[in-house]
Amino acid sequence: MIARLVFMAWSAGFAFAAQPVPKIFPYAVAQEDLPNALRLISVPTDYPNIVATFIVVQTGSRNEVEPGHTGFAHLFEHLMFKGTEKFSSTRYSETINRIGAASNASTSSDYTVYYTTFSREDLEAVLMMEADRFQNLRYTEAEFKTESLAVLGEYNKNSSSTFRKLNEVMTDTAFDLHTYKHNAMGFLKDIQDMPNQYDYSLKFFDRYYRPEYTTIIVVGDIRPKDVHDLVVKYWGAWKHGSYRPNIPPEAPQDAPRTAHVDWPQQTLPLISIAYKAPAYSDTSKETAALDVLAMLAFSRNSGLYQKLVIQEQRVDALLAAAPKNVDPFLCTISARVKKPADLAYVQDQVSATIKTFQEKPVDVDRLDAARKRLRYQVSLSMDNSESIADVIASFVALRRSPETMNKLFEQYASLTPEDVRQAASRYLVDKGRTVVTLTGPGGQR
Amino acid sequence: MRMLISLFLLAACAPAEIRTVALPSKSPLVTFRLVFTTGSASDPAGKPGLAYLTAMMLANGGTRDLTYKQILDTLYPMASDVSSQVDQEMCTFSGATHRDNLADYYNLLRGMLLNPGWREDDFQRVKDDAINALKVGLRGNNDEELAKEVLYQKIYEGTPYGHYSGGSVTALERITLDDLKEFYRSQYTQSHLILGIAGGYSQQFLESMKKDFRQLPENAGFQPRITPPRQIDATRVVIVDKDTRSVAYSLGFPIDVRRGSPDYAALLLVSSYLGQHRLSGVLYDRMREQRGLNYGDYAYIEYFPRGMFLLEPQPNLARQQQIFQIWIRPVEPPTAKFALRLALFELDKLCRQGLTQEAFERTREFLSKYVNVLTKTKRAELGYAIDSLYYRIPSYNQYLKTALARMTLADVNAAIKAHLRTNRLVIAAVSRNGEELKRQLASEAASPISYNSPKPEALLEEDKIVARWPLNLRAADITVKPAEEVFQ
Repeated sequence: MIARLVFMAWSAGFAFAAQPVPKIFPYAVAQEDLPNALRLISVPTDYPNIVATFIVVQTGSRNEVEPGHTGFAHLFEHLMFKGTEKFSSTRYSETINRIGAASNASTSSDYTVYYTTFSREDLEAVLMMEADRFQNLRYTEAEFKTESLAVLGEYNKNSSSTFRKLNEVMTDTAFDLHTYKHNAMGFLKDIQDMPNQYDYSLKFFDRYYRPEYTTIIVVGDIRPKDVHDLVVKYWGAWKHGSYRPNIPPEAPQDAPRTAHVDWPQQTLPLISIAYKAPAYSDTSKETAALDVLAMLAFSRNSGLYQKLVIQEQRVDALLAAAPKNVDPFLCTISARVKKPADLAYVQDQVSATIKTFQEKPVDVDRLDAARKRLRYQVSLSMDNSESIADVIASFVALRRSPETMNKLFEQYASLTPEDVRQAASRYLVDKGRTVVTLTGPGGQR
Repeated sequence: MRMLISLFLLAACAPAEIRTVALPSKSPLVTFRLVFTTGSASDPAGKPGLAYLTAMMLANGGTRDLTYKQILDTLYPMASDVSSQVDQEMCTFSGATHRDNLADYYNLLRGMLLNPGWREDDFQRVKDDAINALKVGLRGNNDEELAKEVLYQKIYEGTPYGHYSGGSVTALERITLDDLKEFYRSQYTQSHLILGIAGGYSQQFLESMKKDFRQLPENAGFQPRITPPRQIDATRVVIVDKDTRSVAYSLGFPIDVRRGSPDYAALLLVSSYLGQHRLSGVLYDRMREQRGLNYGDYAYIEYFPRGMFLLEPQPNLARQQQIFQIWIRPVEPPTAKFALRLALFELDKLCRQGLTQEAFERTREFLSKYVNVLTKTKRAELGYAIDSLYYRIPSYNQYLKTALARMTLADVNAAIKAHLRTNRLVIAAVSRNGEELKRQLASEAASPISYNSPKPEALLEEDKIVARWPLNLRAADITVKPAEEVFQ
């Protein structure tokens, strides 16, 4: 069978006044699916010599459906460096070193990504070695047990961060059924039990490290035809799988929730206020509207930031994030407060701000400023092949194509002040709210 | 005498023209890096943190014409920012913008650096942030960085590098707005400035920018004399005691090597072989991969803060004095003594045996290509070029590749002999129950380790040696400090 090869040429440009809205992603993209359902996305850029490969596996902590096995998607981020019959872990890392590549991986709730940045003459070596480990990973039980300790080491090095603890407690409190209840590291008790789960790890790999879950993104000083030939050569024989996880949907939240963390050392109090929010969508306005709402209500030029951080100076950090997740997740507003006594005040101020946005549509000038910012954010972030690949990877995790980025930006462009008001009214509601606070010794709840 | 000569040279080199690093390209983006070659080493006595607060104030406060709110409002739609970084010898202001917004962005940047507003309310906010960065960011939430900064502070005690660039809590509380203005007036000068710009700007733009910055005073006031730290007479340990899950270490000693030194490239190759940051190396292999002791273990010959958040070092942290350093990421308390012994055992092996021809060639090949990765963004390329100007070397890529191409195994092993050692170290640890760790480290009792899986016989035999590896520490060489007292 001949692989389907589609070329999509997207125009460059950032003119805001012109209609129709220019595509946000300015590079020509070659996207194709191999017969085994592996997807390949190649993007030639004019940054010389360097090539970045980002291999996205649409498996993250969201896919960890069985109790007692949280953290396995992340564990594989480690195990994937354990080698194959052909390339032992030593030979793999020596080869990666020899070609002077920067190579690493990361895991989030929706995906795991393996990335390598290197000189263009090593493209074949990299695609060949990556194909080998994705198809022929081999590790002994002893190696598995040792690596699971490195994961515990990672948990340990993270454990001095209050923000990490706050987020961990937030998802655990806000979710009952859905796997978003745990974060990518997993629950500590499951990490501690990992050494005993060798057989389960083999099952996990067999389920998810399959072409239908995987997208190869190659960006940089390349010709798509060369990349295509190499991917067919080394990845063409990879076998399609059949597993589909049964991820339990979260029942609608019917009352506000709270939790508190007593931190053992002196620290500044934290508060995180989260609302259940819809899954990522590039065909309706919710994702775009909530994103813009979070920006207008809580970012550095918002009225609330001006009040709490600049004028009253009661808060030293105020952040908000609207979700871009495969399933419904949380729209979260977090603040670091200077005095524990101000926690309640800050929560009231956030509620009052939300109420204003629910009642009155935003000024169209402010909406336009947010739209501009979103576009410039993208253009500023894409200043080298690696970061272009990184941006694509985050969207591939959602819809398996960078085209979704263009569609999302069309949604931003079409937003009206009333859309933003409706998003606030529909999603930032009391019964969908979870508040988590964290204070040090002597701090009041 | 040497001081007189250097002062004379400085006077003779007073710049007729502001030093500039320009990397024009067709990019739609314009990247700025403005480096003042002054920093925490120039903090006056009793005012550690002054350089840091001054830079924070410029980057996070209003100008004479605009309030900070107005600045944020203008920057917001551009998605741009002005950020600052302060180290012992450099204060860096950086940012990037799309060329659509170049004029507006530059107006802000210029106003922030040339016409600061010095408002009291901005100062209070910035000061609070700086104090909280110490109390909460460093002491509270980042054991690894804490150990690293405690190590630097101990090594450089009594020298211009002897305080953390972020200052100390009580000193920050005492510093006044007038102190900041004075530091700005004496240190933000043409002679200290290196203008860095990259991307899609015009030559005319650059010329007018240079003209603008001629408003700064020509020559700097106080210039510290950067002296080497005192010789360490015996290994010393500082344990920072706090309620934390695991034990984080950083250890090291001063080296007389920096970019431009004859042994720089050879010693860089050695540190890459021993522990290439977040990628590989002997320590990573023996400690994490073979024994599962922690998340990673690395070696450095240049200051590299924030390594837990970064895969590659940030430029513009150039220093005349550097240390050799090993970073042991947090280990479980029961293996803390073994982990320290293992790191020292591996360092000892390196010092005694050097590299093999194969390891030398492999590491050389890696570094020759990896240097391209270090400068993969315009931001980094610009930063490295500024550092090269400071160190008086050619472009970093060219400098390193040339040195590596000429290098032999004998050079590398000679550099190990000349610069590395396993005695007379400073070891910094962050740990719960510091007195207990002190008791363990002060005793030569064995610290055997057990595993959750079978290990090769050779490794178990090696463990027997490691478990009894002499630490040669007396209780008197080990200090335990509560976390609240560090950087207080």
